[in-house]
Amino acid sequence: MQAFPCSRRQALKSTAVGFGSLAFSAMCHSAAAEDAGRSPFHFAPRARRVIFMFMKGGPSQVDTFDYKPRLQQDDGKPLPFAKPRVQFAPTGNLLGSPWRFRPRGESGIPVSDLFPHVSECVDDICFLNSVHGTNAAHGGAALKLHTGSDNFVRPSMGAWVSYGLGTENQNLPSFITICPTLAHGGLNNWGSAFLPARNQGIPLGVASQPATAAAVKYISNDRWSPSAQRLQLDLLQQLNRDHSQTIPAEPDLEARAATWELAFRMQNEMPRLQDLSQETAATQQLYGLDDKVTENFARQCLMARRFAEAGVRFIQVTHSDAFVQWDQHGDLRKGHSKNALEVDRPIAGLLKDLKQRGLLHDTLVLWGGEFGRTPTAQGTTDGRDHNPEGFTMWMAGGGVRGGMRYGATDEYGYYAQENPMHIHDVHATLLHILGLDHLKLTWRHAGRDFRLTDVAGTVHDRIFA
Amino acid sequence: MPARSQHLLPFSGLLSGSCPGSLPPLQFRSLLLLLVLASQSVSSAIAQDAVATAPVNDRWNQQVVPLLQQHCFSCHGPDSQESGLRLDTLAGLNSGGHSGPPVIPGQPEESLLLVAVRKIDSSLQMPPEGRLTPEQIRILEEWIQTGAVHADGPVQPVVPAAPYDPQEAARFWSLRPLVRPAVPTVEGPQIRTPIDAFINHELQKRGLRQNAVADRLTLFRRAASQLTGLPPSPQQITEFLADSSPEALDRAVDRLLASPHYGERWARHWLDVVRYADSNGLDENIAHGNAWRYRNYVINSFNADKPFNQFLREQLAGDLLTEDQPDPVVRNERLIATGFLSLGPKVLAEGDERKLHLDIIDEQLDTIGRSMLGLTIGCARCHDHKFDPISQADYYSLAGIFLSTKTMESLKRIAKWNENSIATDADRSALTIHQERVAAKKAEVDTFLATASAAAGQPIPEDQLSAEQKTRLQQLREELKALESATPELPTAMGVAEGTIDSARILPRGNHLAPGRRVPRGLPLVLDPERTLQIPDSHSGRLELANWVVGPANPLTARVIVNRVWRWHFGRGLAASTDNFGKLGEPPLHPELLDWLAVEFVESGWSLKALHRLILRSQTWQLSSTRDNAAADSDPDNHLHWRWSVQRLGAEAVRDFVLAACGQLDPTMGQSMLHVKNREFLFDHTSKDGTRYDSFRRSIYLPVIRNNLYDAMSLFDCTDGAVPNGDRGSSTVASQALFLMNSPLVLQAAENLARQLLEQSPDFAVRADQLLLRTLGRSATPVDIQNLQQAAEKLTRQLQLEAQARGADAGAAAAATSSCPTGDPGGLSPASFSGDHSELAVWTSLCQTFLMSNEFLYIR
Repeated sequence: MQAFPCSRRQALKSTAVGFGSLAFSAMCHSAAAEDAGRSPFHFAPRARRVIFMFMKGGPSQVDTFDYKPRLQQDDGKPLPFAKPRVQFAPTGNLLGSPWRFRPRGESGIPVSDLFPHVSECVDDICFLNSVHGTNAAHGGAALKLHTGSDNFVRPSMGAWVSYGLGTENQNLPSFITICPTLAHGGLNNWGSAFLPARNQGIPLGVASQPATAAAVKYISNDRWSPSAQRLQLDLLQQLNRDHSQTIPAEPDLEARAATWELAFRMQNEMPRLQDLSQETAATQQLYGLDDKVTENFARQCLMARRFAEAGVRFIQVTHSDAFVQWDQHGDLRKGHSKNALEVDRPIAGLLKDLKQRGLLHDTLVLWGGEFGRTPTAQGTTDGRDHNPEGFTMWMAGGGVRGGMRYGATDEYGYYAQENPMHIHDVHATLLHILGLDHLKLTWRHAGRDFRLTDVAGTVHDRIFA
Repeated sequence: MPARSQHLLPFSGLLSGSCPGSLPPLQFRSLLLLLVLASQSVSSAIAQDAVATAPVNDRWNQQVVPLLQQHCFSCHGPDSQESGLRLDTLAGLNSGGHSGPPVIPGQPEESLLLVAVRKIDSSLQMPPEGRLTPEQIRILEEWIQTGAVHADGPVQPVVPAAPYDPQEAARFWSLRPLVRPAVPTVEGPQIRTPIDAFINHELQKRGLRQNAVADRLTLFRRAASQLTGLPPSPQQITEFLADSSPEALDRAVDRLLASPHYGERWARHWLDVVRYADSNGLDENIAHGNAWRYRNYVINSFNADKPFNQFLREQLAGDLLTEDQPDPVVRNERLIATGFLSLGPKVLAEGDERKLHLDIIDEQLDTIGRSMLGLTIGCARCHDHKFDPISQADYYSLAGIFLSTKTMESLKRIAKWNENSIATDADRSALTIHQERVAAKKAEVDTFLATASAAAGQPIPEDQLSAEQKTRLQQLREELKALESATPELPTAMGVAEGTIDSARILPRGNHLAPGRRVPRGLPLVLDPERTLQIPDSHSGRLELANWVVGPANPLTARVIVNRVWRWHFGRGLAASTDNFGKLGEPPLHPELLDWLAVEFVESGWSLKALHRLILRSQTWQLSSTRDNAAADSDPDNHLHWRWSVQRLGAEAVRDFVLAACGQLDPTMGQSMLHVKNREFLFDHTSKDGTRYDSFRRSIYLPVIRNNLYDAMSLFDCTDGAVPNGDRGSSTVASQALFLMNSPLVLQAAENLARQLLEQSPDFAVRADQLLLRTLGRSATPVDIQNLQQAAEKLTRQLQLEAQARGADAGAAAAATSSCPTGDPGGLSPASFSGDHSELAVWTSLCQTFLMSNEFLYIR
């Protein structure tokens, strides 16, 4: 893996080249020479890249991956302990899950009938049953999950990963987010804030568009053919050469010269990677591209795998429809059934495909929403409120232990109780898996060093394989 | 329990009800006195106090201890001191726990112990289970009211000393008093102004010398781009070249400063510093529908060269400067100015209202600190500042001022910010007139129906009206509806007002659930060691703060702003960290120059335009950007100003330059260009982006949507509109290349320019010369023309080949006229260009190439 020795140099803040760049190493050759060969890692990495599957709206833990027999028993009874001091909205009595849980895989981890395909992969999955956050509203919680802060604009975790590890492919961005939602934090959720611009996520489309329309903005030109554009760039390079004779060697100007060539190549590279017709019918089927219900998310997942193969460090896919997808304040049965149906096969397809291609062992797959849901009922029909106090995310691949449940909520699934894992802990652990120490991955801004984990974060190393 | 209490209070067993037997009161008191006097730990003076307050002291032993024992000692006693608090010993009561001393003698209302047991404050409630009886609470009140005397003596709360020595701390470069430094004596032709003397003094110490000044046209493009954010037009260039006097550049600078485009350019710098945006961002991205009023206020203030001290006072306390102001325009302007305090991003869906309130105050303090004072005050929210002399007490002294300010109309989810009415009499009478018209129209409808009924001799249902009558009725109703929906709203502006006056409590570790001692409103000790700033109980203190910020006792404000202006001219501040003048900032390389400029600025009456003139007249600003090997080796980054550092156009300037050079810029000064109403969502759950940027007005007027900035801006490093930033980055990323190569904005602008060139002259060389004049601000050289001719030939051949390859279809497609839609989104239809191998296509390509060139994008 190519070391990225200048990535942390504040001195280069103003001349950092995005999408990685051939010019980059030339541009900062003095800094690079100084510590050539220095690895970007603080520890041996367990994974080289991340695929984050974001379930917008907050999937219910007690209906999916956190089985609570006691909740089923006490359905309709009052919660026997206090609800949180700050709640999003009032809720009533306990509501048992309408779905049946069965032990799955060799590990026998119970998963509800909402996820029959993911159930086939439980032995590769480490369920984090004790995740908790602080904000009970979508926006705050989504920002917290993506950036570690719900009240300040901070770099997103993908940007931190890009900053920490640099890029593996000189023709591609190091952080891509496919069809992200513009609500509830919007680009802050993939932004770079005070980190260099080249570390920001490059969005492909937005959540209001189908995945077929997901593209990097301005990637194509209806006016000029590639050959005509080539002539344009030739003239441009000539103008720039003439110009540079009149002023001294400016690293910024030289770097810009390289960006034209990079952009020109990207125009070719991105559509090629996004062209899923190059995949076999079997692969397309595995993800669910052949079914209208699963097609959209399948497309996102398959693109994610292709980007992962091509060397993109952090790829986010988002499951978010025109509503707040997983936000079932009412109609839990109907809403969660629809949502799970749309993602179950594509998620399992991605896990299986990564595994069969030998990519799973060094790709960390992270799954989850901005919070979970209350075990208590809300609304006139079946519904659950937001619950940041205890919910489930899961990881697979990338050196984490499969077939494991880590941490636990109370017997009703409300509060994280055993080995509670705050969002900051999830971030610390994720960085650790990538070989980065969350205490050392810092950026000096506004008078102090900032981290993804602010002043918190504990690495939960028991989940490592 | 008894054992424990005896252990901690040797007397208590004797004095409380558990005492075996019964001592008569007199004996009891004597015994107490005896014991107190016998105690070695008690000085005789205190012993006398104890004698004098013996009846009060009884209260501790007889009344207070039993109830504390019952409710408190198990967690805050000898065996356990939760939150560091121990209530049984005098030392424990004096020092208190993490939240500070629990008892302020004589002030029950201020005592945390009382706050806790009354359970009036959701963040501090004790005991956790159950509650004290009203009688027990009364006992504690009286005990505190009468001096809070413990068996060992009266409680004397320990107020922690400031964590720094203010005299020592004030010696730091940015906090030193502002004194005019002597201008160094430096000989040489470069010394046009004192600025050059300071700069060359440092260079000469290192054996370096400055470049010569740049050529006239380079300087003119530099001046035009810096002062107005626009390229010089061919007319401006002609006018400038026609003036061959030595003062030609000075006069050109005066013309540029007098242009309204000056305010549009420099207001944008200030908007960076005050995190201006037209939407809230963060979790609930709703529209700041009236933020544009503040933006226009800033533009107007810069254009009017409003004294900068007055400009700052208005933003901090404009609402308090309206009372004796008869002119409603000025009054409204000052109300609008306080939008500065309201513009920050807020977690509007935060369920914890107290946290939200404190977060908003924190954001205000952070912004004031960084934008005006160059201090990172926000660092002291949770602990004393780790590097700078700002204690937590300092932070909460300032916080009290904003706690007493009304920023929010409501904190209830979804929270609402305050807006002040700026309706004029004219607005109000317009509304009245409109309401009268609505009423008249309603009456007309009623009359019509009444007339119809009268004609029929009885009330007639509407469905029995004649067709003609029905049509007429519908028409009337539609008119009414149109009138009603056109009812003017009385204008309001984001801004603050005085709130409920209160002082803030220190929050140890920033935890709003565990408030500590109260601190009076005021300034950080280091900035006001004599405590001269007095805030009356009737005011928030904002006006006093505002006056201090621009007053002679404060050395920071003038230093910070002249450094900013230097940064915006030279690309780097004299002190590089423009928003942080603290220990972690970078100290200035030329501290005397910084101070000299600050003093000049203040003495000029805080005139920014005078400061621009001063800087632009200097040799240092006029240097060429050519290379000098000796200087480049010893100072490659040009920190010493031996040459002009080349600067890339800022985000707004990239777009404005493209539109202006291509003849598309709309010079209208803008109002609101938001597509949604005030407080409406920019984004709901659908992620559909309805924001439009299809205007040719200057970039400063386009909406700044947090969480979804216009990509033409964000790609070129505009600020995020969420945090103060006076030092934008200047990145070089491939997505900028994609934008310039492929965006409809650039393609259409290039075609527009090509059209104009083709119309202007049939001669290639004339067209080429105009192209360079409009994009680069200079004439074409023979080499330029040769390059362009060769490129044009190759392009023509290529486009012809492509047209032939498309075959017969090309003819039909070429016939379709290119109809460029206005603006950016939506894209171009391929048909509008295909098959187009004409001169227009060739020149469009050439023009676009110049818009992409370094000479266009960089100011040398």
